[in-house]
Amino acid sequence: EDAAEESNVSAELIAQRKRLVDEWNAWRIRCRDELPAAIKKKLGKAKKEEEEKEEIE
Amino acid sequence: MRPILLQGHERSLTQIKFNAEGDLLFSSSKDSVINVWFSHNGERLGTYEGHNGAVWSIDVDTQSRFLVSGSADNTLRLWSVQSGKCLYTWEFTTAVKRVAFSEDDEQIVCVTEQRMGYQGAIRVFRINRDGDGTDQSEEPESFFNPIGSKAVVCAFAQTPNLIVTGHESGKIALFDAKTGEEVLNNERAHMDVVTDLQLSVDRSYFITSSKDKTARIHDTRTLMVIKTFSTETPLNSAAIAFLKPYVLLGGGQDAMSVTTTSLRQGKFETRFWHKIFEEEVGRVKGHFGPVNTAKPYGDLEIED
Repeated sequence: EDAAEESNVSAELIAQRKRLVDEWNAWRIRCRDELPAAIKKKLGKAKKEEEEKEEIE
Repeated sequence: MRPILLQGHERSLTQIKFNAEGDLLFSSSKDSVINVWFSHNGERLGTYEGHNGAVWSIDVDTQSRFLVSGSADNTLRLWSVQSGKCLYTWEFTTAVKRVAFSEDDEQIVCVTEQRMGYQGAIRVFRINRDGDGTDQSEEPESFFNPIGSKAVVCAFAQTPNLIVTGHESGKIALFDAKTGEEVLNNERAHMDVVTDLQLSVDRSYFITSSKDKTARIHDTRTLMVIKTFSTETPLNSAAIAFLKPYVLLGGGQDAMSVTTTSLRQGKFETRFWHKIFEEEVGRVKGHFGPVNTAKPYGDLEIED
């Protein structure tokens, strides 16, 4: 019973964290789309690498 | 990983900055000297001498060519990173509390202190990058006095000529550098003085720390609070980790009261918080005074 409760709690925690990560990633994508052209250009290659790594699961 | 201790300043540090490649670390101190260190081994590469008072703030351009510094001696100085020579000095009536380069390295923004009948001011200088760097214009490209609570920290926002500021009252604001107009503000960003402001790599968001014991992430365009990190000690610095989902918070009570409290009560740790979950994930001890400034790079290096 304890184990079941514990896994319930952790399932909730995982769901909560997933929601937070999804919210963050959605906001980051919005930010990137609206980034001024000058900064987009400057970040260039570096940004591509970062984009892939910054999407956290 | 074994931490690297950089010893060489005689008084407390005020700010640290990595260059774009991360191989050099610059540190400013109340001892009026700026040092540059190799970040991989902590060996001192050189010093920038000339200021006659505490150096409050430094920044280095993306090419590691120019260094800018602001000091209690009422001057803003431009240095050659490589030779250590002071290339140009701008003089004001009050101390320079904060300096920062624009993302294109073409401009410098600085905040001067409000004192003795002088209003606090924000100035933007255009940097002449031709030649050896000594031929600079004495006059700022723009100059304005923010009304209301005085500005203490500043940086260039995402859009050209937009300055983001943190204020004594806890306010954060966006100013049009050309007109001096306050474009947007968040009066209640913090409940006490803003102590640090550091932007993300793409400048789309920034983190602020405050004496109100919190650090917050804000959207640069809207100034909306995205995340809040609540601690139990006044904070002096907040930094965003590079490529990792963490923020670093540094604090502790004022140096003046250090001798009267134990290290444990002083809470002189650097705290690592998860940027997205707003949860503390770890602390680094080993500081003997308040953590004044933090700046991560790669493997999350920190200094006090």
